[in-house]
Amino acid sequence: MNAKSLTTPGFSSDFSALWAVVRREWTIFIRYPSWIIALFIWPVIFPMGYILTARALSGVDGSGLTTFQNTTGLTEYVGYIAVGTMIWMWQNIVLWAVGYSLRNEQMRGTLESNWLSPTWRFAYLLGSSIPQLVSMFMLMLVSGLEYAFLFKVNFSGSLWLTLLVILTAIPSVYGLGFAFASVVITAKEANAFVFLVRGIVMIFCGITYPLAILPDWMQAVSKWLPQTYIIHAVRTAALSTEGFSGVAFDLKMLALFGIFWLAVGYALFNMMERRARQTGAIGQY
Amino acid sequence: MQTQPLSQPTLLSHLRALYALIRKDWKQYWRYPLNAVSSVFQPLIWIAPIYFMGQAFSENGKAIGFSQYSGTTDFMSFILLGTVLESFINAVFWGMGYALKNDMDSGVMESNWLTPIPRLLILIGHSVTNLVVTAVTSIGMLVFGGLIFGFNASGDVLKALLPIIPMMLGLYGFGFAFAAVVMLLREANTLVDVSSFLVQIFSGSNFPVNALPRFLLPVALALPLTYGLDAVRANLIGTKTILPLQWELILLIVFMFVMLWIGTATFRSLERRVRTLGTLGQH
Repeated sequence: MNAKSLTTPGFSSDFSALWAVVRREWTIFIRYPSWIIALFIWPVIFPMGYILTARALSGVDGSGLTTFQNTTGLTEYVGYIAVGTMIWMWQNIVLWAVGYSLRNEQMRGTLESNWLSPTWRFAYLLGSSIPQLVSMFMLMLVSGLEYAFLFKVNFSGSLWLTLLVILTAIPSVYGLGFAFASVVITAKEANAFVFLVRGIVMIFCGITYPLAILPDWMQAVSKWLPQTYIIHAVRTAALSTEGFSGVAFDLKMLALFGIFWLAVGYALFNMMERRARQTGAIGQY
Repeated sequence: MQTQPLSQPTLLSHLRALYALIRKDWKQYWRYPLNAVSSVFQPLIWIAPIYFMGQAFSENGKAIGFSQYSGTTDFMSFILLGTVLESFINAVFWGMGYALKNDMDSGVMESNWLTPIPRLLILIGHSVTNLVVTAVTSIGMLVFGGLIFGFNASGDVLKALLPIIPMMLGLYGFGFAFAAVVMLLREANTLVDVSSFLVQIFSGSNFPVNALPRFLLPVALALPLTYGLDAVRANLIGTKTILPLQWELILLIVFMFVMLWIGTATFRSLERRVRTLGTLGQH
């Protein structure tokens, strides 16, 4: 007797599942209108904290600023901090949104039932990244405009080169998000992991200061983090007129990191997913 | 015929409910030990970029430019103190606003609301664990922060604690109103995150508020927390104050009464609205 399965999964059904996840995530995203506030407010207030601290450190007579210029060789700090914090915000949002996507389902009690459906399981993770990517592009656009008009940042570089850097950075940023989401399904302590990863980026990648300030061992660590190259490349592409030659090495490193993190993300997802099913922990929280 | 209510709430039953709430949150918090440990280091990670940035503005470890605004060249002690006080402010924001959102998401909000417990007690219960944890983590933070970045406090600790009491009670009043807004909008993350961050910036946790551009200074001066932070720092590390210390204390006491009154009234009114709309069980 020929056995007939209840469903016959194929490319088309996988794509339908992916599309359903994308639609669901987008509906949830726009359901809470506070995202509009976040879109306009975060790009201003997050760098503002650091910019105002730098202003206070500069002093009334600018004596601190002179020291800063002598130490770092930079003439102004506003654009420098704005770009650094923007990249940090990107990685932070991906960690919370993509990294938390499966954990959120676990908390709501829908992960186990979704897992029982004959769908491509990676679609749950990939599907939640797509609306997130769209919202990130909106955030970057708004940030650029706000930095130019409110903070008077002079974007003397190339828009197309900046876009190229951002596109090249996507696999590293989201690959790390996938890996992170996979760890979180079994480890469950998502907050601690977000704090750890974003903390590493915050300290080692020079979001508010040149890496030359760091001790040698910290500079050595920073070379292994893709965000170091993203921050340097976006600063060079958007704020200077160095052109492609100024970001060529960063782009090469980002491509390598992208392949690495996507592969790690996918492998970890499969491994953790199998482990969570074996231990029966997928429905727990 | 005499009717007998299903429950007869008394002070003792309220205290039992409060204890149950605190126990539940406490158990839940320590159930995830990594999260708990990371909360000690999290604020230190936030200030690490400021430390390195400050190094770039300093000569021989002294931030001369910074002292022109604050009255001290020891910017790391200034920032560490600001971060500790900010943690308490965040404990109220997250403890009340976010805890209600958690209850909504887990589907227990409506059933909790049906119990014969004063609703403000539920909010207080949710914030107590956060405050206790914050007190413990703050001590850890000062010890580790002191070792890593250096912390030198030569002032009177007891005198420094005095402005904290009215500041925290006033914050509770604010927290009541804030929790009611979360209940109405059914969204907490952005609200809690943005509001606590703005308060952090404008109350001067990372820099003296007189370094703000002139048009932003009134916002800082309108926040009572600014005076709380200012008074604690002046007492502990001898910074310049915005107003004479006794005036700052009086302002904080007035703030405490006003905020407790406004917060309670706002909570009662918005909570009634949410019940009328029937959205209590939704998220």
